[in-house]
Amino acid sequence: MGNVSLIVLMACGIGFCGLAQLVSKLIAPSSKNLQKLQAYECGVPTIGASWIQFNVGYYLFALIFLVFDVELMFLFPWAVVNKEMGITAFIEIVVFIFILFLGLLYAWKKGALKWM
Amino acid sequence: MNVVIALTITGILNLFGSIFSYRKITPLLSIIGLTTAIVFNSMYWNTNQSFFNHMMVVDNYAVAFGTVCMVLAACLIIFYNRFMGDNDHHLPEVLSVIVLSVDGAIVMVSYTNLLMLFLGVEILSISFYILAGLKKKDLGSNEAAIKYFLMGAFSTGFLLLGITLIYGATASFDLSVISEYVKLNSTSTNYLLLSGVLLILVGLLFKVAAAPFHFWTPDVYQGAPTIITAFFATVGKIASFGAFYRLFQMCFSPIVNEWSGVIMVVAIITMFIGNITALQQKNLKRMFAYSSIAHAGYMLLALLSHDYLGGNAILFYSIAYGISSMSAFIIIHIIQTQTGTDEAMGFAGLVHKNKTLAMITAISMLSLSGIPLTAGFFGKFYLFSSAIESGYVLLVCLAVINSFIGIYYYFKPVIESYFKDSITDDVIKLKSVETILLIFLSIATILLGIFPGLVPAI
Repeated sequence: MGNVSLIVLMACGIGFCGLAQLVSKLIAPSSKNLQKLQAYECGVPTIGASWIQFNVGYYLFALIFLVFDVELMFLFPWAVVNKEMGITAFIEIVVFIFILFLGLLYAWKKGALKWM
Repeated sequence: MNVVIALTITGILNLFGSIFSYRKITPLLSIIGLTTAIVFNSMYWNTNQSFFNHMMVVDNYAVAFGTVCMVLAACLIIFYNRFMGDNDHHLPEVLSVIVLSVDGAIVMVSYTNLLMLFLGVEILSISFYILAGLKKKDLGSNEAAIKYFLMGAFSTGFLLLGITLIYGATASFDLSVISEYVKLNSTSTNYLLLSGVLLILVGLLFKVAAAPFHFWTPDVYQGAPTIITAFFATVGKIASFGAFYRLFQMCFSPIVNEWSGVIMVVAIITMFIGNITALQQKNLKRMFAYSSIAHAGYMLLALLSHDYLGGNAILFYSIAYGISSMSAFIIIHIIQTQTGTDEAMGFAGLVHKNKTLAMITAISMLSLSGIPLTAGFFGKFYLFSSAIESGYVLLVCLAVINSFIGIYYYFKPVIESYFKDSITDDVIKLKSVETILLIFLSIATILLGIFPGLVPAI
């Protein structure tokens, strides 16, 4: 049982990736022009090279955004079982959000939310 | 459970030290937090309680390994003012990361669910990546951080895929369910399970720095600030071995014949690569990195023992190795700040500069090389005897040969400090608390070498 499933898993993994590459190579129409080979930048024409230094502020915002994005992901399963789990789950989620709030407080106090 | 909660609260409180201007007391706060956690932890002795919906079980094994990790971290924090000169204003954050990484170590030694193993490994590793790059302006430190991060992330991929395949074979993350499944199906060859075991083995061998997955170790250990290297070499290694032994003893011991060959080969390669490469190193931090690889090779022997002997042996060896390497790295750091070099010649004439320091160097080197009347001797003795009980005589012979090779390079700093003349005659002055701590570590080394029964059986 285990051996077969391992082989099937490996075959599926290799097959899926290989097939996707192969099919796109075969059936995708290939037209290369200057516009198409440029880096995609929200639809507007790119100006200059993309290997430039970004303002570090972008990264700080991205990190803080990520933290709260992930927090939301944890809130959904809680919201689904909220009625059955009752007050215990509520207290636990409050503790969880409080710890994340402390993180935001820290970032705020350290000046990470100020645009430079 | 109280230990994890106490450590987390300590970590968060430390973090806010830099904002609400109580940064001066954060080292004290960390020590108090760690002491509280140690007290909580020791109260779990002999209770065998399960926590978080059977995600963690605090048995004697977890209590013993957790206490070792926390005591070593507390020793390290006493040297807080030596962490780094130019980076001092980040002290609260650094202490916070150290305390939270101990949290990861606790999870790693008390998990009963593969998800918790992954969580613990990640908490510990991510803290370590940050700590490795503490010296922001130092090129070596940057290299250490990025190398450690890339290698660590890569090895975590192996660990995760291994966990996935084991879930595929057994339909559970729970160690007790997995061990039941393995026991029932130990006679038939199940390649799905075996691939999972092999991949988890690769992931964990990366973490304990065993050859052929050791390439990150020398660069990371050399580049990171020396005190942090002490943390990697002691707490990191002990927690990883705690997790390693727990998993393989609890779950995969019925199919030991399937993976014992891998462990044997890896142990032999690790011991020889570690010891022989350490012979040629001039830089002491690099030498100790290779010696820690060699120690990982010795500790792998315990995984092969069939009964509880292996657990006791690995615990004793962890304590002996942890204490001695901690004091060795601290001394290297003190010498480095004094003379500006981390090569063996920095030790020249140490006995004229500070007699106590020279003596402590000698004791810790004797213990690391495994000379009788030190803890290191009994550590090796227990490990080797547990391997012989299980019938690995040839492996033990090779390990003994390696111990002899080790003596050569461990005695380099001792010879330098006692028989060479120093370039300068500056007296090295230590704070009284630092001297007391170093003497305490040496006394512990000798005491365990005379009365090995002081470490309770688990």
